[in-house]
Amino acid sequence: MVLKEGKNHHTYEVLSIHIELQLERRLQALGLTEGSLITVLNNDKQGSLTAKFRGTRFALGKRIADNIEVREAETDEQNN
Amino acid sequence: MNRTINVGFIGNPNCGKTTLFNAYTGANLKVANWPGVTVEKKEGHTSYEGQDYKLIDLPGIYSLSSYTMEEKVSRECILSGEVDVIVDVADASSLERNLYLTLQLIELGKPVILALNMMDIVEERGMEIDLHRLPEMLGIPVIPVSARKKTGLSILMHAVAHHQTFGSQGPLIHHHHTGRDIRHKHNHHEEYAMVYQDLIEDKIDLLIERITNTYPDFTNKRWLAIKYLGKDQSAIEGWPLDTADILDRVYEKEIINQKYDFIEEIISETLVNKSSKEERTDRIDRILTGRYTGLPIFLAIMALVFFLTFFVGDFLKGYFEIALEAFSVFVSNGIAAIHAGGMVTSLVVDGIIAGVGGILTFLPNIFILFLALAFLEDSGYMARVAFVMDDIMSGLGLSGRAFIPLLLGFGCSVPAIMASRALEHRRDRMKTILITPFMSCSARLPIYVLFSSMFFGKYAMAVCYSMYLLGIAVAILTAFLLSKIDGSKSEHALLIELPEYKTPNARTIAIYVWEKVKDYLTRAGTIIFLASVVMWVLLNFGPAGYVTDISTSFGSYIGKFIVPLFRPLGLGYWQIIVALIAGIAAKEVVVSSCGVLFGIQNIAASQGMAAALTVLNSMGFGMANAYALMVFCLLYVPCTATIATIYRETGSKRTSALFVLFQLTAAWIVSFLFYQGLSLIL
Repeated sequence: MVLKEGKNHHTYEVLSIHIELQLERRLQALGLTEGSLITVLNNDKQGSLTAKFRGTRFALGKRIADNIEVREAETDEQNN
Repeated sequence: MNRTINVGFIGNPNCGKTTLFNAYTGANLKVANWPGVTVEKKEGHTSYEGQDYKLIDLPGIYSLSSYTMEEKVSRECILSGEVDVIVDVADASSLERNLYLTLQLIELGKPVILALNMMDIVEERGMEIDLHRLPEMLGIPVIPVSARKKTGLSILMHAVAHHQTFGSQGPLIHHHHTGRDIRHKHNHHEEYAMVYQDLIEDKIDLLIERITNTYPDFTNKRWLAIKYLGKDQSAIEGWPLDTADILDRVYEKEIINQKYDFIEEIISETLVNKSSKEERTDRIDRILTGRYTGLPIFLAIMALVFFLTFFVGDFLKGYFEIALEAFSVFVSNGIAAIHAGGMVTSLVVDGIIAGVGGILTFLPNIFILFLALAFLEDSGYMARVAFVMDDIMSGLGLSGRAFIPLLLGFGCSVPAIMASRALEHRRDRMKTILITPFMSCSARLPIYVLFSSMFFGKYAMAVCYSMYLLGIAVAILTAFLLSKIDGSKSEHALLIELPEYKTPNARTIAIYVWEKVKDYLTRAGTIIFLASVVMWVLLNFGPAGYVTDISTSFGSYIGKFIVPLFRPLGLGYWQIIVALIAGIAAKEVVVSSCGVLFGIQNIAASQGMAAALTVLNSMGFGMANAYALMVFCLLYVPCTATIATIYRETGSKRTSALFVLFQLTAAWIVSFLFYQGLSLIL
């Protein structure tokens, strides 16, 4: 599944990021690397969503959220 | 011995770095741009126990890679030796994210001091940070400070003074227990806080050996080696080295992940009582960014900002204008008293005081607007705007925040264009600045009112309203076409931190507002001064020298000369063109100039309007012409104050000229279409 399909307050593990290199590197520098955990906060809208990773909340555009492959993390409702 | 110590303040965005910087320097700082880029560079001075410190405020960044302008600037500043000591400002309430930059800074090998800001928020949440363990693990001094309450400031400078020459890391005490298998031949844990897994450390050792052979004088070889491992472009270009046999691939992911692993270790050892209850920010966000509540609340907030800026601001502006009026009467009397001619009086009163004073009358609007924006910015709400408006605006290839300047454009283009600074990317900012003047500002309303009531009778209101809609349509179309041309990658690629909400700090707001106001007065003011003089010369000088009759001025000659150009728009009347030229000084001047040029007194009153209508009708100027004129006024060159602001914000004469040319062209084309279309129907 991709991040955009995530449910509010569920935590996911990042499997891969398929986006242009520049953006991928910016995400990596923010700590959104393969294997890192991301908690969806507000995915109610059609487009962008908010999520928390490495202790900080971010707003992510739809194109980013559509291109991050994730899977449900084992520990649910986790605030990383 | 009293050499000035250069201190670089660095930290993540939203960590309170600027507040801390301001706490030391006050408003007494020098703002310039970093060489070659449009990233702001701030410098200030402070002294502590007889020692002078020069403080440099580096841009807010998340990492020291070189993907963004801000990161490059910060990195080069530190590496160039411009900075003796680095003060790394970290938001203690968001330690995990902030420590990533800290680890990178430590790797640079310069003296680093960690200033833990926002300790009050940490306490508020019932969390505790082990301030003994943290420096043991990082090997650098850690000083708790509160930029808002101004505590810990002296201790921080004390640490700066004592650690300025202490580049190597202090006693490190590690108890790595996260399954790390240390078989590496050197035990780096005594030397470095951040030690990677063996695979990486082996490669670092090999690389350091090679760097030593090629660049024996390079001071921090470990840092360079780590940069090679991550295939850092500027490192590879700056210090080329043959590393093909050591580096079979890019190790950037490993380097990032292992840093975060170490940070997790630090957090687990130093952060006690990590808040488990739902945080205040999440509760507020549930409403402010909620699916149904987010947009209405944002619109309500913007309505309030708009109201404060333009209604309260205009109320104050009224007093400013009265004062200005009194001042110009005083000055003209003064000039008369020294028996100077009418020309000098006219230059000073009609040219300079009217022009520069016109700028001053915007001050209440600008002051209130920036007060409101500073409040939104400092409280943490501004970042949410980008999220709330993202879906709507990104379709136009614009950032969600572009909505703010566009909306303010209905009031006045000058503060609106200044508000475009809230946009994070330069390209977005340029686009927004280009289209903001299309939003019909309040100065254009008198023109619509005059011509629509003259020509459209009971439909006057609808015609006025159509101007606003047309302005929005042209702005949207322009933005849309531009995003198609530059193939906007920014589409749906929003990436912005949503900081914790906090009570705005009065000092931060005061300094922010003062900076903007000062900037507006000095930079725009000087350009306006020149522009006012030029406009005055155009309208008061003719081939015969100084003239009091505008119809014999250079302006009217220019008007007569370009009449053919305006004929296709139904505006081929030299008086109209001169009025439009005069309108460049300020849009509402079009109305009074029309009165003067057509020789009608009180053109805005009903008898005046009737007289003007008779004159215009006799010249064959009808409804289609009137509509075309309004359209042209809506879209053509904004007023001198706006042009000056565009120049100030873009920082380029060429760009400003191109923008003005584009707006003129757009005005011509759209007016042409309407005139020709309406002439067929009416």
